[in-house]
Amino acid sequence: MSDLVTPAREVFRNFPAALISLFYGLSTLAMAVALWGLWQRGRKYWRGRPADRWHALGRRLLRAGAAVGSHTTLARRNVGVGLAHAGIFWGFVALFVGTIIIMIDYDVVRLVNPQWRFWKGAFYRWYSLILDLLGLAFLGGLGLMMCRRWIQRPPALDYTRPDREPGAYSRSAYTTDDRLFLWLLFWIAVTGYLVEGMRIAADRPAFETWSPVGWQIADLFDALGVTPAVNRLHLWFWWLHALLALGFIAYLPYSKAIHMVLDGVNLAFKDDLAGKRLPAVPEAAAVPGYQTLADLTWKDLLDLDACTKCGRCHVACPARAAGAPLSPRDLILELREHAEHGLGGRTWLRERQVRPAGPAMTGAVIRAETLWACTTCRACMDACPVGIEHVPLIVQMRRRLVADGDLDAGLQGTLEKLQRYGNSFGQSDRNRARWTQGLNFKIKDARKEPVEYLWFVGDYAAYDPALQGLTRGVARAFHRAGLDFGILYEGERNSGNDVRRAGEEGLFQLLAEKNVEALARARFNAIVTTDPHSYNTLRFEYPELGAAYRVRHYTEVLLDLMRSGHLPLERRLGGVATYHDPCYLSRYAEVMDAPREMLVTLGLRLVEMRRNRQNSFCCGAGGGRIWMGDTRVAGVPTAAEQRIAEALESPGIRSFVVACPKDVTMYRAAVKTGGFEGRIEVKEIVELLGEALAPHPALSISPSGPLRGAGGGRENTGGGVAGR
Amino acid sequence: MDIVVPVKMVPDLVEELEVNAEGTDLDRSVMKLRINEFDEHAVEEALGLKGRHGARVTVLAVDTGDVDETLFTCLAKGADRAVKITGDFQNGVSSHTMAAVLAKVIAGMPHDLILAGVQAADDRDGQVGVLLGATMGLPHVSVVTGVEPAGDKAVSVRQEYAGGLVAELEVDLPAVLGIQAARQAPRYAPVSKVRQIMKTAKLEAIAAPAVDAGAGSTVRRLAKPEVAGRAEFIEGSPEEVAERLYAILTERGLVK
Repeated sequence: MSDLVTPAREVFRNFPAALISLFYGLSTLAMAVALWGLWQRGRKYWRGRPADRWHALGRRLLRAGAAVGSHTTLARRNVGVGLAHAGIFWGFVALFVGTIIIMIDYDVVRLVNPQWRFWKGAFYRWYSLILDLLGLAFLGGLGLMMCRRWIQRPPALDYTRPDREPGAYSRSAYTTDDRLFLWLLFWIAVTGYLVEGMRIAADRPAFETWSPVGWQIADLFDALGVTPAVNRLHLWFWWLHALLALGFIAYLPYSKAIHMVLDGVNLAFKDDLAGKRLPAVPEAAAVPGYQTLADLTWKDLLDLDACTKCGRCHVACPARAAGAPLSPRDLILELREHAEHGLGGRTWLRERQVRPAGPAMTGAVIRAETLWACTTCRACMDACPVGIEHVPLIVQMRRRLVADGDLDAGLQGTLEKLQRYGNSFGQSDRNRARWTQGLNFKIKDARKEPVEYLWFVGDYAAYDPALQGLTRGVARAFHRAGLDFGILYEGERNSGNDVRRAGEEGLFQLLAEKNVEALARARFNAIVTTDPHSYNTLRFEYPELGAAYRVRHYTEVLLDLMRSGHLPLERRLGGVATYHDPCYLSRYAEVMDAPREMLVTLGLRLVEMRRNRQNSFCCGAGGGRIWMGDTRVAGVPTAAEQRIAEALESPGIRSFVVACPKDVTMYRAAVKTGGFEGRIEVKEIVELLGEALAPHPALSISPSGPLRGAGGGRENTGGGVAGR
Repeated sequence: MDIVVPVKMVPDLVEELEVNAEGTDLDRSVMKLRINEFDEHAVEEALGLKGRHGARVTVLAVDTGDVDETLFTCLAKGADRAVKITGDFQNGVSSHTMAAVLAKVIAGMPHDLILAGVQAADDRDGQVGVLLGATMGLPHVSVVTGVEPAGDKAVSVRQEYAGGLVAELEVDLPAVLGIQAARQAPRYAPVSKVRQIMKTAKLEAIAAPAVDAGAGSTVRRLAKPEVAGRAEFIEGSPEEVAERLYAILTERGLVK
């Protein structure tokens, strides 16, 4: 091999011309098959309705590129999986780009001018080293993923559907696709290394020490004394490697491997406010919401195909955890199957199921009870590493159910009350400010005099007799701190956040219009809300209706007042507390530090639950669920009960602190129904503030009470935070 | 089949009610009105029949105030025609006058079946359907919980009795039925649909024909209930509560 004085290698060594032609023929075929599949999929998205996701395209691409490159979304809360996937990803990228480099050098540059070939010398050395090492990362990552999938078997990868009877479907094809995908990649890498080892073993060019793995394999052949035999096998193995690789290319658009193409794109077109700001119903729409495939936008269709079945949403979903027939993963997969059926761009290995006949999607393919189970907590969207937007899709389908009158009697009753009285309690709107009667000062009427903070109280805080005391507590704290605040009195209506999420868009618009009018008549600098749900719609949705104001949660305002010395504490509280992030305050509003800092300032020791901050677990009330009938599934604890049990996993926690009126209702009920009475107490953060502001120490939660005595021993033997 | 459903507005009990200065009626100036619940069921039964067998549903309301939204809601739910009967009714209207007016109006429109709510929450006299039947010379069945066509010229109706007994009757058409409950809960009218209807549809208005039906009965005195009686909250352990309960019940001779 004297012609190879500079490091390089021959592309088709020992190849007769016919075989070279065969290789090019097969490559063309594989690429044609792949392109056909991509075209089919592309055409499917093309058929989707328009979606405005094209603004700030440069920033979108950069952001998606960064997310894919750094694996931030993948590694979030799943460092192991993130690392394994990063190994596979970067290994694949290196090997793929390496192959492209050879193509450019050999199939393009060589034909133009052989003098310009660059795949040699120092470049070749570094090329060999990088590819060899990243190939190891590739194999290592695959190995970890295989162990995870087949040995560890986490619940996220269990394909059992909660929304279908066990015998009604078969997902064995999904499992086959997983196996095929992993083993194909694995054998492509292994055969690649073997071919490399065989090539190196044949004549041992010194520069090939830059291919350390191949060199070791060559050493292994020598040690085993099989080098002459493997030299004869080189061509066979080369072809095996090539056929596997070409097979993979052809298989890619028809399998889960398509995520390699789609998921970066999907991340780029993701809406930052997805779920927080729901899409309006177009004026021209005869009937609101989604009924058939024809109603889906191209982004919806892309979402469906982007799913990798990683199951993060499946395990995060509170509805599924509470035994409801909803799994965000299965919702997406079911719609994907339906879309592939109706619009083409099919995956090769599909679920086997008797599909409902006819074009009806909402209520048929996706059942009404599945759609009604969603609490719109956004845990699925927060967990999804590829930017799938489940909640807007569910709401779009709910809109159609509402239009068709297919809704729970409790929900219907509440919506009728909201239509008529503007509040979900079905009380006279004249009584909205009745809770203020227990105060020894008058709250300003923001409609009549200017205030700094307009306090948007919300239905639960204003009307629920069990919560009015807490609302007065907030008022007293504001008053004591000398905050200039006022309320809208009878002018306030339900903000409509959950009405909108229940799918009653018209009613949302009606309520919002009334609030926007009332807000326009008031004079104030910023809005402060008790209810995180109201916070969301006021902050993210009202601006589209002409009411753009600064919105803050009362915990933020109170913390400011504490910091600035306007709320001097009479005493510091003792004891251990955990804080439950309301979905709408953490995942929606991203207010997570203020309540925590408040608790610490009050003197409590804060212990985090296993799932905290944006990974918080829903109480089950959101998205209109609190208005629907009792939805407990026999034998399964409710989401709220599961959450209380989670708090009790950590030793010493006796206060379960919340910062949302609905949470007080939900968790106080859960403590009773779940049999946790005497072990833990649900506290609204303002109650604790009230205790610290009160001059009488008798009101404090005592650091040594019967709770610690009863629970301490048992809890200390438990796993605690670190145990999980 | 042409179905006519007369509906009536009654005071909304969510709002506080006031008795007028004369002590003979509610103070209508501060009162909010809503559709009578039984009439809501009558509308639902009519729309159910329309859905299952096809029908033309006309909703009628004597304009005692606030009827527009109610009529638009009926249209949004699927009624074909909504008619407001205008006149000097701001101070309410007695069942006798209501029935006489309705009889004349309905006589002038196609009607195979007249579904009225069995009674209304404000007077509880349940007379409108009966009077309508009598005035128009039509058969009448009251306390009906389900209607199905029986051939072209009759309907089969379920009539509810005390103790869970149900009679099934066949009534020749045209007929007047007093609806106790529709076979399913009244349907939901989405706001967007109601608003759309408000923009596109128009309510028909018919001036009330002159009638001289009298009031049938007059209210001599109307008063808020006087606070009487008292409640006792029993506290203590379940055993103590049970003991106290037992004591109370035996004291009053309810348990021997």
